Amino acid sequence: MTTLVTVPDIETRFAGVITPDTRKGYQGYIVEAEHVRAFAKALRDDYGYDYLASLTGVDYLPEGKMEVVYHVYKSTGGPGLVFKVQVPRENPVVPSIVDIYPGANFQEREAWDLLGIRFEGHPNLRRILLWEGFWGHPLRKDWREPYFEEEGKPFSSRWPHGKHFHHEDKNPFGKNVDYPPGFDPYTWEPDTADEILYQAVLQRSEIRDDLRTERVVVNLGPQHPSTHGVFRMIVTLDGETIIGLEPVMGYLHRNHEKIGERNTWIMNIPYTDRLDYITAMANNFGYVLAVEQLMGVKPPERAEYIRVIMAELTRIVNHLWAIGFLLNDLGAFFTPALYAIEERELILDVFEATTGSRMMNNYFRFGGVARDIPEDAWDKLVQLVTDRLPRKVDELDRYLTNSELIQSRTIGVGVLTAEEAIAYSTSGPVLRASGVPYDIRRADPYSIYDRFDFDVAVRYHGDVYDRYLIRIDEMRQSLRILQQAVKQIEQEAPRGAPILAGKPQYQVRVPPGESYGRVEAPKGELGFYVVSTGKPNPWRYHVRAPSFVNLTALEAMCRGHKIADVVTILGSIDIVLGEVDR
Amino acid sequence: MDWAMLIEWVVKALLLTVILLTGFAYTTYLERKVLAWIQVRIGPNRAGPWGLLQPAADGIKLIFKEELIPAYADKIIFVLAPVITMIPALIINAVIPWGREVVIFGRKVALYLADVNVGVLYIMAVASISVYGVVLAGWSSNNKYSLLGGLRASAQMISYELALGLAFLPPIMLAGTLNLREIVEAQRSMWYVVYQPIAAFIFLVTSIAEVNRAPFDLPEAEQELTAGYHTEYSGMKFALFFMAEYTKMIAVSAIFASLYLGGYLGPFESQFPWLGPVYLALKIFLGLFLMIWLRATFPRFRYDQLMALGWKGLFPLALLNVVVTAGVLALVG
Repeated sequence: MTTLVTVPDIETRFAGVITPDTRKGYQGYIVEAEHVRAFAKALRDDYGYDYLASLTGVDYLPEGKMEVVYHVYKSTGGPGLVFKVQVPRENPVVPSIVDIYPGANFQEREAWDLLGIRFEGHPNLRRILLWEGFWGHPLRKDWREPYFEEEGKPFSSRWPHGKHFHHEDKNPFGKNVDYPPGFDPYTWEPDTADEILYQAVLQRSEIRDDLRTERVVVNLGPQHPSTHGVFRMIVTLDGETIIGLEPVMGYLHRNHEKIGERNTWIMNIPYTDRLDYITAMANNFGYVLAVEQLMGVKPPERAEYIRVIMAELTRIVNHLWAIGFLLNDLGAFFTPALYAIEERELILDVFEATTGSRMMNNYFRFGGVARDIPEDAWDKLVQLVTDRLPRKVDELDRYLTNSELIQSRTIGVGVLTAEEAIAYSTSGPVLRASGVPYDIRRADPYSIYDRFDFDVAVRYHGDVYDRYLIRIDEMRQSLRILQQAVKQIEQEAPRGAPILAGKPQYQVRVPPGESYGRVEAPKGELGFYVVSTGKPNPWRYHVRAPSFVNLTALEAMCRGHKIADVVTILGSIDIVLGEVDR
Repeated sequence: MDWAMLIEWVVKALLLTVILLTGFAYTTYLERKVLAWIQVRIGPNRAGPWGLLQPAADGIKLIFKEELIPAYADKIIFVLAPVITMIPALIINAVIPWGREVVIFGRKVALYLADVNVGVLYIMAVASISVYGVVLAGWSSNNKYSLLGGLRASAQMISYELALGLAFLPPIMLAGTLNLREIVEAQRSMWYVVYQPIAAFIFLVTSIAEVNRAPFDLPEAEQELTAGYHTEYSGMKFALFFMAEYTKMIAVSAIFASLYLGGYLGPFESQFPWLGPVYLALKIFLGLFLMIWLRATFPRFRYDQLMALGWKGLFPLALLNVVVTAGVLALVG
């Protein structure tokens, strides 16, 4: 379980500035807005909370308050600390902490974009997921979408009487959108936003030598073969050398969080599948963990084992995919990728037999899992983890690791030092390849990971090559966990043992309070911050997506490298746009 | 000049062009099949038996595709560029000897189009022209990716042409002639790859760079430059670039075979001259297979690494090789 602590010492030091959060089901401190920077600095420098895991906002409409929630952890491991800043809803302004925790950069921009909280002192406070002309901040509780029907599902028109209607009839085309005052979509010039972007990138791009050369701005993406989806990088080039880079995202934005706040609690599980669609099981895991903390249920033994098995298989699936496509980004024409995908398909066979779907699994439930692993799939799984996958991981290692071309393309490219990696709040393989052995399965154990014997993979150079190697290492460690798990589950919770705590139910009661569930997803720390008011729908549902936060470090990694390296570096971060854009 | 000879030339030229274009079509098929087998896939198998009609289907598709010319492109050069790339790739094959003389309808016919006494020089001259097509295509498209691709192509050509030229020299020195047919005939006792393994290797590497194939396919590096110089091309104009690439692959394999692998020579070729073209085709096939194999196996070089390899590795090595060869030849006589 993710635990949060309070520090008695800090209460006396900041007496009068911070107050413990005494609302029922809440933890941590509430900090006065003007002192948040001093408080954060003290936390980072004096108390060792150097890792900002998550930053988000909550709109408490009835109280008329806007709250910013910070989750900070120690990069050496252990429980974390949560603190909040409350400001009035009208014109909320909070001091930015980007210079204290650079990892807050994109997350503060996201909070500005979606909730309209202004972070004073942020170097580049622009919209990040929505487009520049968007009117309003959709995660505010009084913001309503064009086809708004009700605050929460199930809509009374559909259930229980099923008298549905077509929104188009009520809200015909042409009247279904609100434009900002003075905005005319037919005369609007979209280029101005781009010009602002280009100027921003050009200003940051310095030319190092005295030779006066022309800088070229190149748009890599949104339609580009190597951005792994609709991701866009505005790159300033001096020759072929990168002198500035600005990631632009949001092309796949669907406001997952707003949808999540309309849904009932259990309806959100299949939606989480679509975040990082390569690792649906891990996403399920994070979400149910957060809600289970609020509900106070504990899954039975067998369900815990199945969860771990599925999560680790997902990790292998993801890393196979990541390595295959990293090699593709290096220009190896699909051969390594297809060899890796062959193994992935076999794992997906097991997923399909168990959950009915190969990728969108929708498998975890609050207090357990949906169904047991069928016997034939179980035999396949055991054969895979004990025999085939270890061989195939070794094979990949043998073919790729010592290849001179791969080494010459990746060693020393995109270096991120340990300090930078922590500061930028990177997580997962990116963080561990930089020499920070931070793995949530060890640092802040959840589920039953404390029962298994495994090592936290760590590499020390922080370049693309190490980020490749660490994925091989992690697959080996996952296989170790899996081999222990398939043995232990037979003894501890054999087939037939319950896999769900209590009865399956469509409508769960979630007591009021807040909860932050974090898991070590294959791409890094996947966190779900949920707030319940006791209603059937979450009041706040925030996803701390690892790919999104890891991208904060992209510019620092890319500057000074060649254009061919950007693609490699991006591939080594391993992003999935479903999760970045949400 | 008698009419029969003129007709013979025309027929031979047409035949060679047809063979090359068919060869190009089936090289694409070969590439897709071989890549698929290497990558545990099946490859094209829908059009015709074993997918054998796939190239025809592709060709028809490309002919009927809409030809787009970007609004701000330099239109004349944009249209001209694929032609400039394609023509040298075809005419380079004129000097490749496919065999000795055979008797057809009682008439002695030589199995080569032109017996040019400066054949090797001709190849080097013509091969270098096609890079203009690439550069002009990249420049005229008015697209940054294309421009970068075109720039890379020119830089790559300069880095590799020198080493390639030096790799042409040892067979010329050994055979004492610039005529490609005489170089092949000079290998009757022993193929030059045995005497000159280093030169053969340098030739192989630089010629792959010359035809822009993986791992030297930087001008069109898909992952970085989407499609490099031909990003803006579509329909038949794109097909021309495609054709040029594969025709050049065939030509380069043929030149390599002629310079180092004894060209059309092989067992019993002296008794049955008709075996000559078969042997050469076999050797070309080996060359093509090697290129496809490399593409399936290697990641791409980075631009600066490629330049470094060309200037710091291959060029001095080739130069040294030429000097040593010359020294040995002078000593042995």
